[in-house]
Amino acid sequence: MRPGPGLSRRALLAAPLVLLAPGARAEGTALRVATIDWALLETLLGMGITPVAAAELVLFREVAVEPPVPPSVVDIGLRGAPNFEALRLTRPSLIFSSNYYAEMEPTLRLIAPVETLSIYRTGDPPFGRAEAAAERIGVVTGREEAARALIARVSAQIAAERQNLASHAGRPMLVLNLGDSRHFRVFGADSLFGEVLTRLGLANAWGERTSYAASAPIGLEALARFPDAFLVILRPVPPDAARVLSTSALWNALPNVRDRRFAVLDSVDPFGGLPAAARFARLLGAALRAEGEAAGRGGDLG
Amino acid sequence: MAELTLPRPTGRRPFHVGLALALLGTVLFALVLARQPALEGPQATALEQLLLWHSLLPRAATALLAGAALGLSGALLQRVLRNPIADPSTLGIAAGAQLALTLALAFAPALLAVSREGTAFAGGILAVALVLAMSWRRGFEPVTVVIAGMTLSLMAGAMSAALILARGDYVFSLFIWGAGALHQQNWQPALLVGTRLALGAGAALLLLRPLELMTLDDAAARSLGMAVQGMRLVLIALAVWLAASVVSQVGVIGFVGLAAPAFARLGGARRPGAVLLAAPLIGALMLWITDSLVQLTASSGGDLIPTGAAVGLLGGPLLLWLLPRLPASPARPPMATGHARRLRRPGRALALLAAGAVLIGALALLAGRDLDGWALATGPVLAELAVFRVPRIVAAAAAGGLLGAAGAIMQRLTGNPLAGPEVLGVSAGAGVGLALALTLSPAPSAALLLAASAGGALGALALVLLMAAWTGFAAERLLLSGIALGCTALALLSAVFAAGGPGSFRLLAWMSGSTDRVGAHEAWMLAACALVLLLPVAVLGRWLDILPLGAGVSAALGVPVGASQLALTLLAALMTGVAAFFVGPLSLVGLIGPHLARLTGFASGRSFVFASALIGAGVLLLADWLARMLAFPYQLPTGLLAALVGGPYLIWLLQRGEPRHG
Repeated sequence: MRPGPGLSRRALLAAPLVLLAPGARAEGTALRVATIDWALLETLLGMGITPVAAAELVLFREVAVEPPVPPSVVDIGLRGAPNFEALRLTRPSLIFSSNYYAEMEPTLRLIAPVETLSIYRTGDPPFGRAEAAAERIGVVTGREEAARALIARVSAQIAAERQNLASHAGRPMLVLNLGDSRHFRVFGADSLFGEVLTRLGLANAWGERTSYAASAPIGLEALARFPDAFLVILRPVPPDAARVLSTSALWNALPNVRDRRFAVLDSVDPFGGLPAAARFARLLGAALRAEGEAAGRGGDLG
Repeated sequence: MAELTLPRPTGRRPFHVGLALALLGTVLFALVLARQPALEGPQATALEQLLLWHSLLPRAATALLAGAALGLSGALLQRVLRNPIADPSTLGIAAGAQLALTLALAFAPALLAVSREGTAFAGGILAVALVLAMSWRRGFEPVTVVIAGMTLSLMAGAMSAALILARGDYVFSLFIWGAGALHQQNWQPALLVGTRLALGAGAALLLLRPLELMTLDDAAARSLGMAVQGMRLVLIALAVWLAASVVSQVGVIGFVGLAAPAFARLGGARRPGAVLLAAPLIGALMLWITDSLVQLTASSGGDLIPTGAAVGLLGGPLLLWLLPRLPASPARPPMATGHARRLRRPGRALALLAAGAVLIGALALLAGRDLDGWALATGPVLAELAVFRVPRIVAAAAAGGLLGAAGAIMQRLTGNPLAGPEVLGVSAGAGVGLALALTLSPAPSAALLLAASAGGALGALALVLLMAAWTGFAAERLLLSGIALGCTALALLSAVFAAGGPGSFRLLAWMSGSTDRVGAHEAWMLAACALVLLLPVAVLGRWLDILPLGAGVSAALGVPVGASQLALTLLAALMTGVAAFFVGPLSLVGLIGPHLARLTGFASGRSFVFASALIGAGVLLLADWLARMLAFPYQLPTGLLAALVGGPYLIWLLQRGEPRHG
């Protein structure tokens, strides 16, 4: 186990205790925050703040995976249609939201003051904004030191991975999701993954702009334009696609697939915050270090 | 019979047109081949070969074969149902097949590994069975069949939208299927569709004689020794199989099945055999040409618009173009004259209905779930929750009332029991307005969205009125113009969905129909709109009583026919447009309200519309409450829930039917 995530878990376990400690009540009330946005949920958890309520936790645990969400957090339903009544019942004193949910802000304000922190904005690189969001959360919750710690920890983790991957420096990578056996979408330079690649000293083979960090679905044949790229395939891989591709002549003839220059990573939230960036860096580092071991599995995506 | 009356071409024109199309296709395909970007690296040549053999050629083959299969499917359906506007998209077959695939992906992915095609076929057959059940009482009359099909397509679309919303980005491949993309990486889809096409064409050839007899009416065909109903079922199943195999491989490709036989007939094919031969050829060329154009306009970042959506854009204009060529249906006995029962005191019944709606509203206000279980809100808790519940209740009641009233007016205007406000195309127009705002503005405010949706609805309304005026306000023309507009709007929306991104999720939320974003301000605005739009009905009652008697009688009784139809259409469309922003494009409330009102016995125009409005309000109130409670704290989309609860009941009502009301 590497020190990074362990630390985060310890901080997380300690969080409720911190809340109970008299020091945390310095501002008069206990910290009762809620969040609609997933990237902010990650950031809060990464800072050791356990929100009282958050949205769509069933899918969050599947897609973002970490940081783990303590069972005390109340699930208030879909991000796109949160249950305001349930949110009200958890009595938050502050609600975090983002530009995606601008429309529901007036209603949220009926419950508690709203702090809108937008990490993903078209054409704006998200990593710096994710750090700024953590800092801002630190300021409004009075936990500046936790924010600084999270930012430093993620930077350190990425820097450590960069060291480990020194032999891969400048290597072109293509980060993608498979939609079915014939389509993928790719993450551009303006995505969180794109920025992490740069910070890891790797290159993003996808040079073109994307409309919203990820591209619209693209035909699989476009992969032939990137024979040198290492393919980073993010789970979930649809079972149908895995089955068809393992026998596909085109897929298996792609130079990257034939030479086993690809890896399938566990799910990472593509629109996540700093913890997602760290998770991506860690999973990618592990995959690149294990590159040789994948040999002999063919184009199998299992 | 519903046969197209098209100008008879002279000489060898059809052959020349076909040749020109084939030539165009070849030239475009050559351009596609020439425009392939040169690859780099040591294995570039080998890779280019591979792309040619495993991507470009199978893509072209799939386009040709899928187009032919859809063309054949459309030709068969049009012949069997004696309906020149039947095809896998207008009958809801494609939408049903796609919904089945979506459900399988979400709940039973193993089913897809067993048989994608079988899953799609089951969905398609179920869809066509529902559509035929709904239009049974009207003798499969073309416009009614298509209205039922479009209603079903909208419902399937709303269900897919809700599923995508619940599963998140996770299932982005669903967007691809919805819009039909032809990218290929092996020959398997081409082979599958090709074998189905060959088998289908063989079967059609064997059944050519029965197909020719289908032109006759059922009695004549039966006297010639044909088991009419059995043969009809076999042929419909064949057509569904062809369409389902295409949907299972490349997704929804709209309207090729509608266009190909129409063009074949336009080109001079008269006998069933000629149409059955020409339609697949034309369909193949159509899809091939469209797909080549899509590839030529694609950037390296992907296609500008998926092929299925591009072809779907054709659907609307094509229906419009076919519209004046549709024969007028034989005069029907007006539906509003005879009522199974007639209330003696409609005033008292209306008061009862109003009391019922208020009661449901009170239930929705007081009863609910909190984090521990069921709870009746009182005192300070109620005051606290009322902030959230009152706007939703007001919005649901107002939207339900508006939709019910709009549906009642539409039914009186058109004499068609399936003419819900949704088929006016106004709500789909509102969706296009929303899509535009969401695409152009990164974080649109609620006011901007409302304005955009109203703009879209008004634009669509203007178009429908223009087209209806152009064709003289005949009821069927009005319905078909609405459907045509709806088709084009839905194709546009599916293209927006296919691009993905945050905006498309907001649009999906609208598609599935949800009242949860209504703030106090919007709710009271909606209530005010409802009052302003419902009040004129009180003075328009006479028109609503007389218009169903037909244009001649109406004019003789001193009703300005054109002006009154225009005014009522405008009123119904405004009601629909306002309500659609809040509850999405489909709720079936506009169909359920008027049907229940008629069953109860509200006969006069005025009381019929008001009763429909009250019932609509009650139904949507109940649906909204259930949507909040069933999966607490997760909320279900209100419009979809109303449709799911009301849909089966509606089909049962229509099936049972009262013959006198059609």
